[in-house]
Amino acid sequence: MGKFKEIIRQYPFLGFVIAFIILMLVPSVFFTDLYQSHLASLICINIIVAAGLNIVKGFCGQVTVGHVGIYAVGSYTAGCMFLYLGSGLWLTLPAAILIAGLFGVAFAIPSFRLEGPYLALATLGGGEAIRLFIENGDFFMSTYGISNIPQPEIFGVPFDTPDKYYYIAMPIMLIAIYFSFSVLRSSVGRAFMAVREDPISAAASGINVKKHKMLAFVLSAMFAGGAGAVYAHLPPGYIHPNNYTVIEMVTFLAMVVFGGLGHIWGGIIGAIIITIVYDLTRPLYEYQLFIFGLTIVLTILFMPKGIGGFIDKYFIDRRFKTKTGAASK
Amino acid sequence: MKKINIIFSSLLLAVSLLVTSVAQAKDIKIGVSFRMLSDVGYKHGELIQDTVAEWNSSGGINGKKVDLILYNDECKSEKGVANATKLAYQDNVHVIIGSSCSSVTLPMVPVISKAKVPQIIPHSTSSKITLTGSEWIFRVPVSSRFYKIVQAKFTAENAGTKIAHIYVPDQASMDFSKSMIAYVKDEYGVDPVYEAQAGEKETDFRSYLLKAKATNPDALVCSGLVDETVRCLVQSYEVGIPKSVARVANSVASKVEVPTNAGKAAVGVSYAAAFAASDTRPIAKKFVKHIKSRYGVVPGHDFSQMEDLLTMLKPALEKAEKRFSGDLASDRKAVRDSIAGITNFTGLASGPISFCAAGTPECRDGNRTPVMIEYTKGGKNWKTKVAGTVTFNASAGL
Amino acid sequence: MLLKTKKLMKAFGGLKAINKVDFELPANEIRGIIGPNGSGKSTFFNLVSGVYEPDPGSYIEFDGNDITNEPPHKVGELGLARTFQLLRLYQDMSVINNVMSGYHTLVPYSFIDAVTGRKKIWDQEKTIKEEMMELLSFVGLADYAELNASELSGGQRRLLVLARAIAGKPKLLMLDEPAAGLSPVNVDNLMKILMRLKEKYGLTLIIIEHILKVVMDTCSKVTVLDHGEKIAEGTPTQIKDDNAVIEAYLGKKMDDEEMRKALAV
Ligand SMILES: Nc1ncnc2c1ncn2[C@@H]1O[C@H](COP(=O)(O)OP(=O)(O)OP(=O)(O)O)[C@@H](O)[C@H]1O
Ligand SMILES: [Mg+2]
Repeated sequence: MGKFKEIIRQYPFLGFVIAFIILMLVPSVFFTDLYQSHLASLICINIIVAAGLNIVKGFCGQVTVGHVGIYAVGSYTAGCMFLYLGSGLWLTLPAAILIAGLFGVAFAIPSFRLEGPYLALATLGGGEAIRLFIENGDFFMSTYGISNIPQPEIFGVPFDTPDKYYYIAMPIMLIAIYFSFSVLRSSVGRAFMAVREDPISAAASGINVKKHKMLAFVLSAMFAGGAGAVYAHLPPGYIHPNNYTVIEMVTFLAMVVFGGLGHIWGGIIGAIIITIVYDLTRPLYEYQLFIFGLTIVLTILFMPKGIGGFIDKYFIDRRFKTKTGAASK
Repeated sequence: MKKINIIFSSLLLAVSLLVTSVAQAKDIKIGVSFRMLSDVGYKHGELIQDTVAEWNSSGGINGKKVDLILYNDECKSEKGVANATKLAYQDNVHVIIGSSCSSVTLPMVPVISKAKVPQIIPHSTSSKITLTGSEWIFRVPVSSRFYKIVQAKFTAENAGTKIAHIYVPDQASMDFSKSMIAYVKDEYGVDPVYEAQAGEKETDFRSYLLKAKATNPDALVCSGLVDETVRCLVQSYEVGIPKSVARVANSVASKVEVPTNAGKAAVGVSYAAAFAASDTRPIAKKFVKHIKSRYGVVPGHDFSQMEDLLTMLKPALEKAEKRFSGDLASDRKAVRDSIAGITNFTGLASGPISFCAAGTPECRDGNRTPVMIEYTKGGKNWKTKVAGTVTFNASAGL
Repeated sequence: MLLKTKKLMKAFGGLKAINKVDFELPANEIRGIIGPNGSGKSTFFNLVSGVYEPDPGSYIEFDGNDITNEPPHKVGELGLARTFQLLRLYQDMSVINNVMSGYHTLVPYSFIDAVTGRKKIWDQEKTIKEEMMELLSFVGLADYAELNASELSGGQRRLLVLARAIAGKPKLLMLDEPAAGLSPVNVDNLMKILMRLKEKYGLTLIIIEHILKVVMDTCSKVTVLDHGEKIAEGTPTQIKDDNAVIEAYLGKKMDDEEMRKALAV
């Protein structure tokens, strides 16, 4: 087992190949109906957003409540490109990532001067402004949404049902995770954390604080934009401004908080659990908002580092104890 | 090791037993997805639950119990699509009821059509929904294609075709007048006697009204947002346009601010709906009384449409159940065909509801009879009455 | 000169925290800065390291570069490292990550390499980590590498910020009260580490310290600030006997013998 871990550490790409193979097999082994595939695709999309959010919020420590707006930018880039240019996912995805990145630049600028609740307000305003802009524009087909955004074809096979679309969403999700792991495990990820922990001492170590805030915002915006595009093409390929409100933003935040802010697996674990729990509580719709609010509050109170932090604590304490033979303080 | 094996296999056994017992029950399953956020939203949900409980206590559908699965879509397409997918593929329902918002029903249609599950709409009115060509979707409410021209037809038939239009440069307000003008031109070959677009943020419409007055119209259309509509109506009396000239407003007339703020000037103004609480038919009176006592609200057409939907669904399910084979796909088809066979259903809706087999809007938009509700008194204690109904032919407004 | 300031000035409102300070420091020296509370020592560090912007007319030069108005990260990149009086640890990061982020400017791979996760960066990361573990053993924190920095004791934290500052292999290291709050044994330990550091890395050091013993024993030269002004500069022995210094530190009321005792602690 240790040997295996060492190999994965040496060739991180290998881990993703293995994960890819496993995830390719998951539907045929575990899924009994098409809805599970649909849910799996939604989980993939949420993972992409949450992983991105974890970069800017969890690692770089920059509060943003506007990310759902950037997610909308991704969706509407895809939707409009289809509507006006007839483009498919392979074109709209990179375009959405690019344009979302530009919006990320705009969202980063307030973070140079504002912090905490003020930054939250500024980004909230930004996100809502995007939604309202979309909602009031005929160009975006706001009233009845954009329909029939097509699913991609590979070698003439259309991936137009939930079970097939999973094979589109899942690899994109894996690529996104690959990028997020690469960044966060590198010196850039450390610099993000340093900026989060103490921008002044980060700067004293030669870390360009503004540059890293900008990088974090742009990167995570690109994740959100990509996810938005994948969502836009998800069968039946329909987008509407109603899906990009503050409530969705809170759900994304809940994923990161629950999974573990600043934990490399945080967004991923959170996205999986929250999406599944949301689905299981669907019949309890009257209590759902309450359940989610309570989960966030309890997590923050009793598990401030989320599930990721919980796991870490267990493993690292054990490792430390075996090493020094003493309990840590 | 052995112990684990035993536990594991008994667990497996239990699960498989459970699965088969669920499958054997073979209830009729109805899935629901709509907006159950607000107070009224919850009450629509309660109405369904109560009705289905009543069915079950009185023998169900030909002796079969009805399972109701209720999901909230919060008027969000993402949730609606997920709900529809779950109901279709995981909950294996026979029929889906949903949704409230057109922007949710619209993307549900391709999902349920692909899954081949019949869906019956309680609230959404967008004409786009039934233009999708699906044979699996049925609409109980009046389609927006009828609402769009109902004022035109009603005005032309009751007041006359000499119509003066004043509208503000807001998209919806302009659309209303333009489509009314087009309808009267198409149907009667008559142009408006007067047409004026007010300037943006204009509050004084008297110069337009005076010019309109000079043309001696049968009807005067004031098409704007709430405030502008109110001003235009009030000022029409100030410039002395006689009472005999019918006043027409767009759909904002249904908002309470119009009679409240326009006062007397609102008298005679009407709006279209699928149901009027002031409906004097016995069936309507009974329904209003029941909803008031059971749920504490005066029912609007959202309630009546849900009630109509359930009332027509029960015999349709009973008819379909007789042809059930136990194969879900063919059972769903039976339910679909049975709903498509509903003709001239008379319930709370102001006209008969009829469906047919083709995947055309003509077959899908079952209700073609909006009711016109007219203000008989303005001010705080405004009152309404049913001014009449307008019945369209199946292909009107396409 | 490695570091040079000319007419360095900084006023907060009416308060002249640093007033026309000319300062010169050749490479390889260990310089002490002393002065009463509020005399401007930390402000001097903040100005040199770019945390504060100096008032017009000031001039700061480091290693031949004009850094008067450079932002802090630029100054850091040029090889000037510092610690803070309030430590400014990365509380919620592991000990090893604290130190590794001090290595930031020396990381050999680019951002693009990092994003794409090229294999070579993992090899390089491994080397960096090994090197940083070595540094941690050097300050005696190797066993705590995976712990959160917030779980360290006060003394261990001081060692950690020291290690973090050295991690980037600076040309000049400025320490703001490194011994504050340490027990006498740990003060000795710290001094030993500092001396070994200087030998091992060929560091130039500036140390702000109230524990005069540290300054007197480690520094070859001492600069004294009072009310933002440089009031004396010289070898520890010269400083010990400087009347202006004694006055600034202890007031006039003590007699000479008492003052000398106090300073010799
Ligand atoms: N950011 C600031 N804003 C306003 N005044 C400041 C600021 N920083 C320092 N000062 C003031 O400048 C003066 C010098 O402060 P500084 O921190 O440099 O003193 P010090 O010599 O480091 O003192 P100590 O030995 O207590 O650490 C003090 O009067 C302090 O109040
Ligand atoms: Mg100080």
